[in-house]
Amino acid sequence: MGKPGLDPKEFLEHLKEEHQVLRWEPLPPNQPNPSSGGEQSRSGGSLDYLHKHWALPDSFRPEDAGGGPKGRLVSLFGRLTYRVLGRYFREERELLGHVVRISEALERRCDALTLRVQEMNLEMVRRQVAEAENQAILAAWLHAESPRTTGGVTSISSTLTQRNKAAAAALSAAAAKEGADRAR
Amino acid sequence: MSDRPLIAVLTTRWESKTEEGWATRQVAGALACAADVHVITPQGVTPVQRTDSVFTVHEMATPSAAAAEIRRDLLIEAISETGSGVAGPLLPEFGRLLDRDLLDCWAGASDLISGLHPDMVVIAGHQLVGAIDAVDRVAPELPVVLLALGSDLDSLSFPHFDRVFDRAQAVLAITETERLAIIEHHGVADRVHRIGAPLAANPSALNEPNTWVGKTDYVFVITGAKTHADEEAVALARLVRLRFPENPVAISATDALSVWHQGRLGEGWPVERSSDLSRLMAWARVVVDLRPGPLFGRRGVDSLLYGTPIIVPGNSRAREHAELGGGGLWFDTPGELAWCVEAMLDPEVRAIFSAQGQAYAEAAYGSTDDFIQRVLIAAGDARTGDGVDGVGKAWRLDGKAGISGADASAASLSITA
Repeated sequence: MGKPGLDPKEFLEHLKEEHQVLRWEPLPPNQPNPSSGGEQSRSGGSLDYLHKHWALPDSFRPEDAGGGPKGRLVSLFGRLTYRVLGRYFREERELLGHVVRISEALERRCDALTLRVQEMNLEMVRRQVAEAENQAILAAWLHAESPRTTGGVTSISSTLTQRNKAAAAALSAAAAKEGADRAR
Repeated sequence: MSDRPLIAVLTTRWESKTEEGWATRQVAGALACAADVHVITPQGVTPVQRTDSVFTVHEMATPSAAAAEIRRDLLIEAISETGSGVAGPLLPEFGRLLDRDLLDCWAGASDLISGLHPDMVVIAGHQLVGAIDAVDRVAPELPVVLLALGSDLDSLSFPHFDRVFDRAQAVLAITETERLAIIEHHGVADRVHRIGAPLAANPSALNEPNTWVGKTDYVFVITGAKTHADEEAVALARLVRLRFPENPVAISATDALSVWHQGRLGEGWPVERSSDLSRLMAWARVVVDLRPGPLFGRRGVDSLLYGTPIIVPGNSRAREHAELGGGGLWFDTPGELAWCVEAMLDPEVRAIFSAQGQAYAEAAYGSTDDFIQRVLIAAGDARTGDGVDGVGKAWRLDGKAGISGADASAASLSITA
């Protein structure tokens, strides 16, 4: 033949040695624990205070002035002040009301965004875990698992067997039971 | 009336669709060179005697139910899996269950045999206990040749079929693996003959490549499954095409021929004609047969006859052609499959395996004359012990030595690797 011969068995062993690298196995990240909500906005107390105190008094209360001539003077001054500055106080009250509502909306939005970031983070980690598991399955299939469906030696009969295996198994079980009953 | 010997061939099915059926027909054909061959089969709708080429076929119209054979095969697999019944005696209940509905179908064969008065009987299949019984009922001294058809090693070594091997004067095996398995489990080395099979490369396959792949040094993968089936053969074919995107990869599935190259897919009709399959194998760089035939991996031999190396599963019968014939490589894991294909894409490596494999295939399977000779020698050996002078000698066409048993290594027609 002119060309040197090749022993397939030796050749295969040589091939295996050549590819004898450290087995690669992906490291799946730890499964993340879902957040308990601790990272959400913590300004609930201040917001409550704002809700309770944004409405300032819109008139002077006489009991705040006290009694006697001094009280009457203070009461007069107080009523005068509210009369002169009443419009300003009402507008300021409106302004505070809007500030409180905006604060409320901002806090809700912050919480929603925080939740969304946590969800996305969780989703990404889960995806990484799934991909790592997939890679691990591929690695195992490539290097460890023997092909199951290729057998000529192991397959006991033709395609017919495979097609009817389930039906035949049931039949066989029934026949075995019948045989056992007869034996008894 | 013909003065030639008469041989009765008892076979469950007379057809060439399976490797077992094809091998039975080839053996019957070889015997027909020296004898009148009558085929007796339980097949058929009504009892009939007809002529098929050089054979006279007797259809008894008593076929066994398909479920009976499946039950037998499943039972063998299950018992072999547990180990019970293989090492020790088989429980009588299991024996009865194994033979259930498989014995009666041969009842009519006794009358046919007593009417034909054959000089010899060939039993095609080591599981045909009913056929042996049919012979022994009317002619217990008649020489029997057993064509083992041992596709399944579990069944071949199953003690329930020991008496079929014990009754046979000669046992015919197609491959060396089968021959060694029979000797190991039945200890009849001097009666086991490896006969191979008659195959030939059709030169016209090399005239023109398949138009879907051309002469592109492609890898030809045969899956034996549907293109999108959820089967491992399909996953292995996918692995090959993904691993070698720069190399054309033709994948022959049962429903389509897919040709992948650089991520592009060309899809054609499924390969159904043997001439198309031959062309694809003849022009390929390497043939990856993921489901070789169970008896002797015929496609592997065909491929080697064209000088195309093969890559086959390590647990298949076709491994013998790669290992003993030096015609290719085998794999036990998908990773090894990828390495094997990679190695075979090297032109120098491929050339060596090609030459080795072709030489092996031509020597072991390439000659019809040698095949006929081996069958006739085995049949002649079976006859020599029966005291009928001349018959065994008459079947030896040119006096060449056979490859039977211990003389295998010295035989001129030896195909024992």
